[in-house]
Amino acid sequence: MKRLIPVILLGALLVSWKPVNLGNVTKVKKGAKLVAGAAHKINEEEEYHIGRAVAANILGQYSLWRNAELTRYLNLVGRTLALRSGRPEVYGGYHFAVLDTPEVNAFSAPGGIILLTRGIVAMAADEDELAAVLAHEVQHVVAKDPLKAIRLQRLKALGTFTAGEAVGSAGGALGVFQDSVMDISGTLLQKGYSRSQEKDADLGALKLLAACGYDPKALLDMLKKVRAAEGKKKLKAFSAHPSAARRIDYVGENVAPADPANRQARDARFEKQAASR
Amino acid sequence: MKKTTIMIALLAAAMVLLAGQALVVQVLRSNLMAKPDFLSSSLAPLQKGARLERIGSEGGWYLVRSAAGVKGYVHQSAVTESKVTLGSIAPGPKGASQDELALAAKGFDEANEKKLRGSKGYNFSDLEWVMEQGAAVPAVAQFIRDGRLK
Repeated sequence: MKRLIPVILLGALLVSWKPVNLGNVTKVKKGAKLVAGAAHKINEEEEYHIGRAVAANILGQYSLWRNAELTRYLNLVGRTLALRSGRPEVYGGYHFAVLDTPEVNAFSAPGGIILLTRGIVAMAADEDELAAVLAHEVQHVVAKDPLKAIRLQRLKALGTFTAGEAVGSAGGALGVFQDSVMDISGTLLQKGYSRSQEKDADLGALKLLAACGYDPKALLDMLKKVRAAEGKKKLKAFSAHPSAARRIDYVGENVAPADPANRQARDARFEKQAASR
Repeated sequence: MKKTTIMIALLAAAMVLLAGQALVVQVLRSNLMAKPDFLSSSLAPLQKGARLERIGSEGGWYLVRSAAGVKGYVHQSAVTESKVTLGSIAPGPKGASQDELALAAKGFDEANEKKLRGSKGYNFSDLEWVMEQGAAVPAVAQFIRDGRLK
């Protein structure tokens, strides 16, 4: 039997061995300066922590509207969408809340913390229009667009730390963390996403709305309201770029017809919730 | 004797191959579902780090067996491939994996997040209120049914 042991172990090792890991084992042997190669890969837990910091930063600039009933309703609509999205499960779960400002805007922090302004919530005439805004933001989370706002130089800087520096003092890493938060907040609050990111989020939202049973035309309806309000001071990034007119064009070309009676099925609960605001 | 040796080696290899299809829950909380659908019933809660044996896949879901032997479905976005199996078999230095090194070096972690608390421009108090708000899957399922959604 003793003679069998090496054979069994060899067989087990051969079957389980994955060639791609050979490189990893070698790299780990070499030690601490090897983090650069993997630095660009941000995992779920890291995304969660940077997302919390970005959301805390936004909440440092806007007041939170602690309306528990509205927030619960928003979370039910948002979770309905998230469950049918391409990324239903995120590290800390999706969370939705309202900022107490008349501005018309919405923000998606990394990891699924989505903040809508009181202005855009008030603009929605029914649940499907509210869902349209949320679907657009969920699509940004699915595509990890907020993370893409981190400037490449941050990630390059991460690769210059040794593991000792990072695990020990973490001073350098904290700086990169803060700078990365500012990169994302700057994009969300001022700069805005690229036109292609916005277009992808709009087209993805149309599919997501349809998959959930919401009327995709609700996105078109919201964009028309945004276009009508364009030029007003309180209107910000939800229409930053591309313009609402341009978005109406491509959303209109891609929207599928839906049963209006189905949309009305949600009116009672929307109106009940709206009356409590 | 030779045939027996080969058969035992192949059997051991096959067992390791199956064990190699291990998954680890990468989100804080998830559920083992009865069907590949969030609206089906939950068979058991899953916590971060729970190990699952992958025995099949369907759409965006894995059919898995939990450590307690319960068979069910978990969405692919909730899990990642386990890297422990190889490390426990293959010879090599003990210590941090490549990913662990990357995580530590990046500092996108709880320790650095805590250091931001109290910094000007951050409101973690309101953030905690936001994180407490949510909707459990059973409530979402009821909301979907009531609203004629799917």
